[in-house]
Amino acid sequence: MREAAVISQPNLLRRIPGVAIVLVALIALFGAIAPGFLSFANLSNVLVQSTILTMLALPMTLIIMTEGLDLSMGAVLTLTSLCVAIVSVATHSMLLGVGAAILVGAAFGLVNGWLVAIVGIPPFVATLGTLGMAQGLSLIVSDGQSVVGIPHSVRDIYSATFLGVPVPIVMALVTYAVFHGLLYHTRFGTYVFALGGNREALKYAGLSPGRLLIGVYAIGGIMAGIAGLLMTARMNSGHPTAGLGMEFDAIAAVAVGGTSFERGNGWLLGTLLGVIAVGILRNGLNLISMPSSVQVASVGVLVIVALFLDGLRSRS
Amino acid sequence: MSTSAAVEALRPGSEGATPLLELRGISKEFPGVKALDGVSFAIYPGEVHMLLGENGAGKSSLMKVLCGAYRADAGEFYYKGEKVAINSTADAQKLGIAVIFQEFSLVPHLDIAQNIFLGREPKGRIPGTIDRRRILADAKRVLDMIGFDIDPAITVDKLGVAQQQMVEIAKAISQNARILVMDEPTAALSDRETELLFALIARLKADGVSIVYISHRMAEVFALGDRITVMRDGRRIDGVLPGDVTPDQLVRMMVGRNVDMTYPRNFAEKPGEVMLQVKGLASPTGIADIDIEVRRGEIVGLCGLVGSGRTEAARAIFGADPITGGEIIFDGKPISGGPDVASRRGIALIPESRKSEGLALLRSVGDNLVVSALRKLFPSGMFDPRVSQRTADELIRQLRIVTPSARQMVGLLSGGNQQKVVIGKWLAAGSRLFIFDEPTRGIDIGAKSEIFALIDRLVAEGAAALMISSEQIEICHVCDRAYVMREGRIAGHLSRNELTEENIVRLGMHHA
Repeated sequence: MREAAVISQPNLLRRIPGVAIVLVALIALFGAIAPGFLSFANLSNVLVQSTILTMLALPMTLIIMTEGLDLSMGAVLTLTSLCVAIVSVATHSMLLGVGAAILVGAAFGLVNGWLVAIVGIPPFVATLGTLGMAQGLSLIVSDGQSVVGIPHSVRDIYSATFLGVPVPIVMALVTYAVFHGLLYHTRFGTYVFALGGNREALKYAGLSPGRLLIGVYAIGGIMAGIAGLLMTARMNSGHPTAGLGMEFDAIAAVAVGGTSFERGNGWLLGTLLGVIAVGILRNGLNLISMPSSVQVASVGVLVIVALFLDGLRSRS
Repeated sequence: MSTSAAVEALRPGSEGATPLLELRGISKEFPGVKALDGVSFAIYPGEVHMLLGENGAGKSSLMKVLCGAYRADAGEFYYKGEKVAINSTADAQKLGIAVIFQEFSLVPHLDIAQNIFLGREPKGRIPGTIDRRRILADAKRVLDMIGFDIDPAITVDKLGVAQQQMVEIAKAISQNARILVMDEPTAALSDRETELLFALIARLKADGVSIVYISHRMAEVFALGDRITVMRDGRRIDGVLPGDVTPDQLVRMMVGRNVDMTYPRNFAEKPGEVMLQVKGLASPTGIADIDIEVRRGEIVGLCGLVGSGRTEAARAIFGADPITGGEIIFDGKPISGGPDVASRRGIALIPESRKSEGLALLRSVGDNLVVSALRKLFPSGMFDPRVSQRTADELIRQLRIVTPSARQMVGLLSGGNQQKVVIGKWLAAGSRLFIFDEPTRGIDIGAKSEIFALIDRLVAEGAAALMISSEQIEICHVCDRAYVMREGRIAGHLSRNELTEENIVRLGMHHA
């Protein structure tokens, strides 16, 4: 027997999400102990460096909202980054490079979606399989070597500015706007909520949950393709381990941002803040000369702290 | 009893009227069970048609056939006198049939408007987008229509059960539902919320909407019903008007008589000392003030309707749910803690869903038999396959489990033999109090007798049993006495000579 709940208006303090508290705490911490952290150049650097993760974490939010997961995203990013490198080196065309990357990414997204929605393999296992495939393909196409000689048209993307704003940030902002519109203002976005919240309701409304689910994973693949362009531009090469572990940061950002892994409760702005929190953490630890192994561990701690704060609030 | 034709003739205002929807001779069979057996059922415009029956009488199956979730094996549907087919939920929706299920079909993190129009969102100017202003206005209009004053932009997860139910009804109305099927809609509502629902039902009725209302509460049956159909064992027993029957007559129709199996039970002359004593037990699942006593050598029944709190009481005694009040005394000593404590002290819970909660289906019979006794059999922590094999073989012989060997995968056994494995598992662990939740669910009649013979032997040898069953006839034949639950509380106690199906149903139901 359930108790009838009343609509509650929680006080302001309790409405502040865990990710905001974490973000403020991180800025205060590194502002105090990391020299140069609060400089404009550094903060702008943090944001530029967060753009690739943004492009993965936003689609990851949708996937997690469907009670799914995409472990292959980092490996697919490696592969699409290599696609950009190889095709642009061969054709000197940035557009052909990114086009090839999007096609490859979309193919992986469709395969992920097909495995999860139609074949019925649990997302964890299905995308673990495609992770291996993407990583293996990356080693094959690159022969284990870096791809160098990236044309200017690709390289300049990362350093160019548009109306004074770095192009990667513009791309990330546009991506965010598109995802915001998609999730909150389209039919598709409405159905994403339903995929995780009550799949039966979709069936009852005459919709096909399977096709919608494939769409969600395909979006993840396409975004990995676009992020591949930024990755290649940033590294000025294609590298067979470029995207290693990026899925971990993406899932962490989504979790830190307060998206629930159950019942289709997602928050895009939270993911964006989560991405920035992860970026600040890594940047700050860099500034105080912590090795990257410590960074990975601390991202893990960040996830747990943010979820702990959310858990505290929902319990009280 | 009057025939249905006579009833139709008696109904005020329905002389010569064609039913809005008529079902004729609907049958639906599942492997081993005849869920519906030639059921005929008519719904007239603007009436509240109460559907009554015990658990398993076929009400839910009939409802699922009506809304297209099940396809009838035989029978015909007539809509306003014309023959139609209901083969899918889409067919049913086209005819204006909508079902308000007990588990709602709502998406928790979408708002009320999005839920009402899920899959039918008004299109915005940009392709793929939703016209936000219109969806809110349309939702508001539907909500106003049913007199539910709430902001349609509130997400559904912030609503209480009653409000969610209102949204479900709004969703149905927005699809132009002319026939609304409600499955125990007041089960989770407070008195005030129930009043609001009744007011809404009156309003819908006035608009010509027909309502099929499944209920277990006598007061509702008489307060709301324009007509009553009673079902039992997948058959329509009778259709009556509320003015023509008394609650007692309805109870008798629901219970009926169909005894065709034997219940082996050797009642002890004198029960032993008290083994389990539960005093004022309460838990957050909604049960409260539970007093239960079980003595050595007894089989004590725990009855009541599905949802009355029987399973919750069993789980609380076993420590599977937290306890917020009262105490449990086992063998003279208080017991508290989780299932691990309870099982170590000698309490066993044999759950209703033995496949998901009682057995590891892909493992062998032998593994399943020893899994709860590992600590006892191997105190050093080292596993010895010979000891395990010997224990399993002994139990297979003792319980007469039919299996080629202890190595057989347990999922391949019949239901009755699976149940024996669950019991054997707890026997091996040295349990003395067995709590059975629907021990004969999904087991054929022959195997049922064997299970009861086994339980009888267990208690004769000094154990005790607390048995939950929706089959009242089982309780009557097997139990020394029984407690009847209603809405999370003990509604009454029946001693051996008071133990009849009618008494159980009477105590379990709400009265006017």
